[in-house]
Amino acid sequence: MSRQLWLASQDTKLQDGFFVHTDFLQFILSGLTTGSIYALIALGFCVVSNTMGIVNFIQVDFVTLGGMFMFTSLFTLGLPALPALVLAVAAVALVAMVLERIGLRPARSANHLVLIFLTVGLSIILRGLIKLVWGTNRMALPPLSSDVPVQILGASVLPQALWIFGLTMLAIAVLTWFFHRTSLGLCMRAVAVNPTAAAVVGIASGRIRLTSYAIAGALGGLAGVLVTPITTLNYDVGVLLGLKGFAAAILGGFGSFPGAILGGLGLGLVESVSAGYLSSAYKDVVAFVLLLLVLCVRPKGLLGR
Amino acid sequence: MRTLLTCLAAFLLLTTPALAAETIKLGGFFDLSGRASFIGTPSKLVAEMLVEKINAQGGINGKKIELIIADTEGDPAKATTIATKFIHKDKVVAIIGPTLTDTGMSVKKIVDSGKTPIAMTVGGDPVIMGGKFGSYEWVFKSPQRSQTAVERLFTYLQEKGLTKIALLSADDGFGKDGLRWMEELAPNFGIELLIKESFGSRDTDMTPQLTKAKNAQPQAIVVWTTGPAGAITAKNAAQLGISLPLFQCHGLPDPKYIELAGAASEGNRMPATKLLIADELPDADPQKAIILDFIKLYTEKGYDKQFPINTHSGYAWDAIMLVVEGIRQAGTEPAALRQAMENIKNYVGISGIYNLSPEDHNGLGIDSMVMVQVKDGRFTLAD
Repeated sequence: MSRQLWLASQDTKLQDGFFVHTDFLQFILSGLTTGSIYALIALGFCVVSNTMGIVNFIQVDFVTLGGMFMFTSLFTLGLPALPALVLAVAAVALVAMVLERIGLRPARSANHLVLIFLTVGLSIILRGLIKLVWGTNRMALPPLSSDVPVQILGASVLPQALWIFGLTMLAIAVLTWFFHRTSLGLCMRAVAVNPTAAAVVGIASGRIRLTSYAIAGALGGLAGVLVTPITTLNYDVGVLLGLKGFAAAILGGFGSFPGAILGGLGLGLVESVSAGYLSSAYKDVVAFVLLLLVLCVRPKGLLGR
Repeated sequence: MRTLLTCLAAFLLLTTPALAAETIKLGGFFDLSGRASFIGTPSKLVAEMLVEKINAQGGINGKKIELIIADTEGDPAKATTIATKFIHKDKVVAIIGPTLTDTGMSVKKIVDSGKTPIAMTVGGDPVIMGGKFGSYEWVFKSPQRSQTAVERLFTYLQEKGLTKIALLSADDGFGKDGLRWMEELAPNFGIELLIKESFGSRDTDMTPQLTKAKNAQPQAIVVWTTGPAGAITAKNAAQLGISLPLFQCHGLPDPKYIELAGAASEGNRMPATKLLIADELPDADPQKAIILDFIKLYTEKGYDKQFPINTHSGYAWDAIMLVVEGIRQAGTEPAALRQAMENIKNYVGISGIYNLSPEDHNGLGIDSMVMVQVKDGRFTLAD
């Protein structure tokens, strides 16, 4: 082989290598973006699970509601992006607190099954209301900043994806601070560790439940605000995302905060990498088979207690 | 008390048949909620609008139409329950709907055993295909066959010399139907499908599939899905900097698509009904009058504010009109009505000129579709 040909072949090899590398990065970034959203939703599930011991199915509608409030703040109230985001998240937190106060607490039940079915019912009612207020048509929500993609080492990422990473990290940091540094947060952890002992030392359970719903609502709402510019918005957009978030929470170990983050990112990555390298038709199959395998080996989830 | 009850019962017995004889009952079931509610809800509005119009003009053969509306929720199980209720409890003359191919397939058997004609507004072809898909004797559909749309698209691609194609299709009934036809028809048009990828119709990120499609180095990308997934794919393609021509299927020509995909929709091309480019039609076009009439009526009702006119808007109208034409010719006796429907010729509708036959329960040809292109944020005829 002549030297020139050899060089040329090396060149294509290098180029191929470069393509393979950027593709991989593209899959990873795409997986991390969806994974962050799953993680936010999973965290919302965990907060309520830790204080009340139940699966809160209203979580999926908090996601939808976040997007809807964002839409209203932007287009009806005409607010700029960041104040609109804060308002939307706060509004969802408020709705969540109202639901806990008038929907769940009057049941005066400690029976988990009763409470879980109440959340299922409330979720259906809330979805019906969302449908009445905002209609059934798809809506487009603008991204928080421009939608010109950013190049990172050859892979292109939407600025919205960077917002998703950034604000998810911020939310996790604030949560960590709240649960370790504030008295309310410490009380909530106390309830999570031992509800009876917490009651004995006089921690009021009502306030804890209300706070946990507010946090769950805020997390779900934030996920909704961040993801709907990518997914488009309609009255049941949260259902499928919520299902994935729920799976992520189980994968990480239901109730564990680091587990929820790990589960969410893991699920997003597996989906995207298997769509890229195995088969796009079976990416959900791959993700859920992996979930089953993990649960077979570690029934409590990756980081479950 | 007893006399009162007896009187009431007697009254009911006397009046019910009399009332029933005066109206022609049609059952309409659409996806008013669920994943295709954005198609089903306007279908319902159009159906009600048309029935109102027909009744205002004196009904069919002197009888008013009574339209019973139900919600399939996009759920095949729900759809079968409603179809059974329509046939056996409400005793409807014919059924209009449902919205999705999957729900359409689930009611096929019910209408067949219940011997009630159904005019579907679904996209997929299996509902009017025999053999392994079951008998289609009682099933009609008003939207173009996927086959027709694929042929229209492939004719265009062939004209433009775009023969190496990367295909992304949804993994639902509609997407699989498109995929099947494209695989079957591609050789006839000298088109090569370099790579076939799929995605869920509710997926939110198609960049992995698009990355693979791009690496196959095609001349164009074809996406086959309805709903937001198409818009997300267009946005993802723009994000990845893919400058290849992007083609969507006949399920997406909708101002909503442009709204959802934003700047990424610019230049996208797709097969559509003439409804979308009504103002560009030549005056000689036989469909122009009825299309403009429809648009006027629709806008007067104010429906276009929430549901701007799209390629689906006319399908419910045409479905009802096929039934109405049948009843005008043969009355409401099921077997006669069915036979009259399958022999409808030259009915000028909104979505095309229908020429049905016992073999073809759709009756629309490739000339009922045009290729449209997004230009400056609106649909125009593609050049």
